[in-house]
Amino acid sequence: MENTTSAVMQTRFTTLSPDQTIKEAVRILQRASKEYGRRVFGMMVIDEENKLVGMLSMYDIFIFLRPKHIEIWGEMDDIDLAGLIENALARAATIRVGDIMTTGSISITPDTNLMMIVDIMIKKHVRRLPVLDGKEIVGIVFISDVFDYLLEKFME
Amino acid sequence: MAVVTRKNVLTGIRVRDAMRRQVVMLNTSDSLDQCIRHAIKYKVNALLVTNADGHAVGVVSKTDLMGAYYAGFSLDLSIETIMVGPPVYCHPNDPLEKSLESMKSFGIHRLYVTDDDGKSVIGVLAYPDIVGLLYRLCRKCKRNLTFKKKGEVPDVGEEHLRAKEVMSLSVTSHGTHETLFGIMETLSAYRFGAVLIRDSQKLPVGVVSKTDLIIAYRHGISADMPAETIMKSPVRSCRVDDFLLKTIQQMIFSDVHRLFVQSEDSRDIVGVISLTDAALVRSGSCRACTASRFLMPSG
Repeated sequence: MENTTSAVMQTRFTTLSPDQTIKEAVRILQRASKEYGRRVFGMMVIDEENKLVGMLSMYDIFIFLRPKHIEIWGEMDDIDLAGLIENALARAATIRVGDIMTTGSISITPDTNLMMIVDIMIKKHVRRLPVLDGKEIVGIVFISDVFDYLLEKFME
Repeated sequence: MAVVTRKNVLTGIRVRDAMRRQVVMLNTSDSLDQCIRHAIKYKVNALLVTNADGHAVGVVSKTDLMGAYYAGFSLDLSIETIMVGPPVYCHPNDPLEKSLESMKSFGIHRLYVTDDDGKSVIGVLAYPDIVGLLYRLCRKCKRNLTFKKKGEVPDVGEEHLRAKEVMSLSVTSHGTHETLFGIMETLSAYRFGAVLIRDSQKLPVGVVSKTDLIIAYRHGISADMPAETIMKSPVRSCRVDDFLLKTIQQMIFSDVHRLFVQSEDSRDIVGVISLTDAALVRSGSCRACTASRFLMPSG
């Protein structure tokens, strides 16, 4: 359908499981980026019944990795920052996708109008939206595909 | 006649200077599972709970979540069942010292900050935030250990506090094979945030904190499992003679609330020092500050 989800959604997509570790998730994101020839920064998280339970994005991982008191030593120039990143990454070792994923995220249907999608993406600060047909996951819409589609229209 | 007032480094500082403006909140109907996920992701020790009208009605801390694990509650239960209320408040313009007093008298670790009309929560004040502020002040001070120009040797006089002067001597440890149930009993009885784990030779090999326990709860690990299943190694530690400033720096830097303190001559742990202990010292990291401002005539 023109100007709806169907025109822009990807029907080939990889998903994550809540029990996977953050390391596994990052590996899957990297593999998907290669496979689809585009950078994949976030994925849908589904349970064993293929039900959508959340979304995990690079941003969720950043929130977890960011040290709690960063504002204190962020202003200091003489502090030794060696080991800082290693320390944050070590803490992530026991953390699973389900621990830090974003839940309660909004989904759209195959016939949602593109402008509605743009509106949701602006208001909710999201770059990808799961597409559900009833309870079944049928695809995912990336912000870049929406933009490309609208640009094409604009050039016509 | 001059009136002698006792002052310390916190005198004149207000809550607004130290409070954290990001407040992690959930609704009464949200689940324990959701609450644990937020505590992990945002690295907070407690979450504020609001009702359907958006009014703050309670607080759920890691201690409460650990209690739910101990009691075997389902993760689907709503946080309303375990929250403690009402929250204790302070105002942005309150003196920091007064807030420390009320935290101490209520036996709590944080106060929520409301705006002037007292209706909305605009921040939260916890011990680590106060330490953060003290640390910043110390860093700006000329007498600070790390403050030195090229070629200058920092003054390491006796006024600088050391770990042994601030640390708590009561360190409770458990064996690697003792259960998580046992650890939770110790943590709630002594109001500790973490216990030391020792191996069969009594050597310190790991730490189990409340955070580790609530992660285990969420991951479905039975509380009958031994400590070694979830303990974190190695033990983060400092030495009894380390300067307080350095230990604060280490805690802030590595996002931990406490360091175990090793004796000078052996690897054994003789104490524990936490950000709360550091906040309660109130004088920053050295005595020079309190000494020089100790007797100040006013009026």
